Amino acid sequence: MSAPYQLTPLAETRPGMVLSDVVRDAKGNVLLAQGIVLTEAMLGSLARHGVDMLPILQAVPAPPPVDPEAVQGRLDHLFRKHDRDDLGDWATGILRRYVEDYRLQRGVDA
Amino acid sequence: MNRLTPEQLAAGVQDLPSLPAVVMELLSSIEQDDIDISVLAKKVSYDQALTAKTLRLANSSSFGLQVKVTTIQQAITFLGFQTTRNLITAAAITGCFPSGRCPGFHDKAFWRHSIATAACARGLARRMRFNQDIAFTAGLLHDIGRLVLVSAQPDAYAAVVRWRAQHDGDWQAAEQAVLGIDHVDAGVALADHWNFSGTMRQAIAYHHAPEVHGAGFLAAIVHVANAIVHALDLAVEDDELVPRVSSVAWDAMGLNEEAYLHLFRETELQFEEMSAILMA
Repeated sequence: MSAPYQLTPLAETRPGMVLSDVVRDAKGNVLLAQGIVLTEAMLGSLARHGVDMLPILQAVPAPPPVDPEAVQGRLDHLFRKHDRDDLGDWATGILRRYVEDYRLQRGVDA
Repeated sequence: MNRLTPEQLAAGVQDLPSLPAVVMELLSSIEQDDIDISVLAKKVSYDQALTAKTLRLANSSSFGLQVKVTTIQQAITFLGFQTTRNLITAAAITGCFPSGRCPGFHDKAFWRHSIATAACARGLARRMRFNQDIAFTAGLLHDIGRLVLVSAQPDAYAAVVRWRAQHDGDWQAAEQAVLGIDHVDAGVALADHWNFSGTMRQAIAYHHAPEVHGAGFLAAIVHVANAIVHALDLAVEDDELVPRVSSVAWDAMGLNEEAYLHLFRETELQFEEMSAILMA
């Protein structure tokens, strides 16, 4: 599958973007594989390797804007058997919080 | 009376559509590295539909190939034997069960859940430095017992679907209440019948009980991947329900939030592409 991509200056890339292609250094060594989700650490490392442009996968179609109430409602439905006050069930509680952060685009430590 | 005896279950397993012989061979040898690759590649290439589906998977962006592979042998060269074997298995299994025989059972949603769990288990395994190919196949097969029950007793399973809708419970409880056995029993029976490796059998047997002594790490990976996929709502079922997550299995992963958020994203992306190929 040849996904649409955009060559993006390193300074404009952000963690969470996805590489549409493999990234190599000037000698042709592979630095990162295709399909990798970029992290802060990777972006720093690429800068040190002298990479200035990245092929970034374009999300098509653009993700619809999140309706926080609808999203929260659906998540509450999915987790309807989980009791937030049940401390013995902390593992489900952590998964719930992470998925909420993910769906509501709150990011880590929001 | 919808109760299923172990004998009926065994008979149901016998009556299942059989996988291509070469796929049975691949499944039973999943932990062996010394099988003759060129012979296997040749056997798979006799099955054109299977070959085509396998190659589409191999060329999907999840595997990051820079060249398009056009033969099984090439796929093995570029992706390695383990990964290729894994793709052949996925391509064969997703096509071998009849669909639409049990009212209320959504075959498409079943496969969406299985494929997403496979992708998620593979992503978890990579982060845990566990064998990604085994994790992928275990994720794909973890609920295969449900298909065994649906294929063997479609009418009885329709009663399971109704029971679950009334009680809003999990599938295992509904199956136990109506049939007296559940998809874990059926999955283990199939694993024995299809001669799955011991590790795979354990993962199917303990994916709902990963804290049991001897369940194994693979069962914990599949358990967590299963819960994540329910929580990501990828099967598109109205009454989707996230099961209780075992704290033992969650602890065993030892990942932080950032790692999980990446895993969620990766799972969704890979799931989309793989399901388009496998469910075509």
